Amino acid sequence: MKFSLVRQALILFALALLPGIGQAIYFRDKVSWESPVPASEMVTVAQARAWGGNAIWIDARPDVEFEREHVPGAVLLNEDRWNELLPQFLATWSPEKRVVVYCSSQSCNASREVARRLRDEAQLKNVFVLQGGWEEWLEKK
Amino acid sequence: MRTRILTFTLSIVICAAMHAELKWEQTTVELHPAATDKEAVGHFKYQNIGDKSVRFKSVHTSCGCTAAQTQKDEVPPGGKGEITATFKIGDRTGTQVKTVTVDTDDPVNATTVLTLKAVIPQELEINPTFVFWRQGDAATPKTIAIRAGKDFSVKQLKVTSSSRDFETKVEQTGNGQFKIDVQPHETSRNMAATLTIQPEGSPKTFYALARVTNAPAIQ
Amino acid sequence: MKSASSILSFQSSTIPRFVRRIAEFIVGGIFIYAGVIKTLDPIGFASDIDNYKILPWTISVRLAFYLPWLEIFCGLALIARRLYLGGLSILTALASIFIIATIAAKIRGLDITCGCFGHASKNWSFTAHIALDLSVLAALIALCTASAYAETCPNRSG
Repeated sequence: MKFSLVRQALILFALALLPGIGQAIYFRDKVSWESPVPASEMVTVAQARAWGGNAIWIDARPDVEFEREHVPGAVLLNEDRWNELLPQFLATWSPEKRVVVYCSSQSCNASREVARRLRDEAQLKNVFVLQGGWEEWLEKK
Repeated sequence: MRTRILTFTLSIVICAAMHAELKWEQTTVELHPAATDKEAVGHFKYQNIGDKSVRFKSVHTSCGCTAAQTQKDEVPPGGKGEITATFKIGDRTGTQVKTVTVDTDDPVNATTVLTLKAVIPQELEINPTFVFWRQGDAATPKTIAIRAGKDFSVKQLKVTSSSRDFETKVEQTGNGQFKIDVQPHETSRNMAATLTIQPEGSPKTFYALARVTNAPAIQ
Repeated sequence: MKSASSILSFQSSTIPRFVRRIAEFIVGGIFIYAGVIKTLDPIGFASDIDNYKILPWTISVRLAFYLPWLEIFCGLALIARRLYLGGLSILTALASIFIIATIAAKIRGLDITCGCFGHASKNWSFTAHIALDLSVLAALIALCTASAYAETCPNRSG
């Protein structure tokens, strides 16, 4: 009985491999195989700084936090006033620039949402999310 | 003496058996605000079904756009109340999920995460919301596709450009579907325009943007 | 003193064949459904596995493409009664691992969506998830026991 159980389990393991591998091949370009967030979306503070004048920094936090302190030269673009702030941001944008979006920390979602809207709605390329957010920027200042 | 010991022991046993317990009517609330609403408010009702008071230690939200308030700091046994979460919609779209984390001194369920899900009706889907030409590019028209959201009926669109440097032409392409062809007069200098898109009979206004930029393509 | 076989015979004799069959259909159906939902959004499922913070991402993402198909085939094995024992054992092991991992994550205070029924079940409460998972595990164990009894006492299998 034990041998039959093992043999049956092995057959099932093998059967499941076929469609699994097939699906993985189909999705091979849509998935980041090495890190949880697509490698092209996240950028470290060091990497973003290295881009110098080629980077536009976007602050996705609420107005009040932006006014308190923000990355020098950053543009405010949050979802509270998206319609009003988007034209102001786009006036500073040009296709060769790399857009770096940050919010308060790694766990806050606002920067990912703003980045997503810039990519999906405005169809901008080269939009990145700052790893660690404002907290990380302060630490590495 | 024996009675006293017995009473004392009994009271310890009773105290040990006493507990606080906050029972929530629901921990997820789904809201369907109207297209013109500025806020969506969720009410999370609770009741202390235990024998001891429950004290709220902290209530914090997952984003600055959501504010949460408790009616009281301490809930006596049998007491009822609610936490009100107010989500400021702003210019957000689609389904928004925000959480409220409630910390109490209940040793069994110290932390509860309340979820507020707001499905924001999308009257118009605009794709893309931004079109641009580089300086020197041919001034050919670019198309913005517009589609009425489900549950909405849009018969006509009015589109105005904030700048005369860009021409716009609106055409209906299907039931609730339109296209806007945008074309700059020239691409020899930086120009920008905000296109104001107004569905007929709707109080809400939508926007798209057009620009002539001055950068070469990324190598 | 009751022997193991007499306990099993009591259990098997009190579980009529048609009840076993219904349980196989329900449990097999649940796993097929859960597997199909997850095959529709493997990236979402990969995130759900990653949220448990037990496995590195490189393994989580590969498992996300494999596990749903394993669930589907094992669910089918239960219903079709082919490769039955293998399917039953794998599903029992999977259900146990899911439950242990979910409880462990809850204890560690991780904010997880169980992922058992795909990203779509992310709004279910922890209690609802655990209750369903435990019920499924109980049914699987009952089926295992009934099978084990049938194997050891074939002339009394029912």
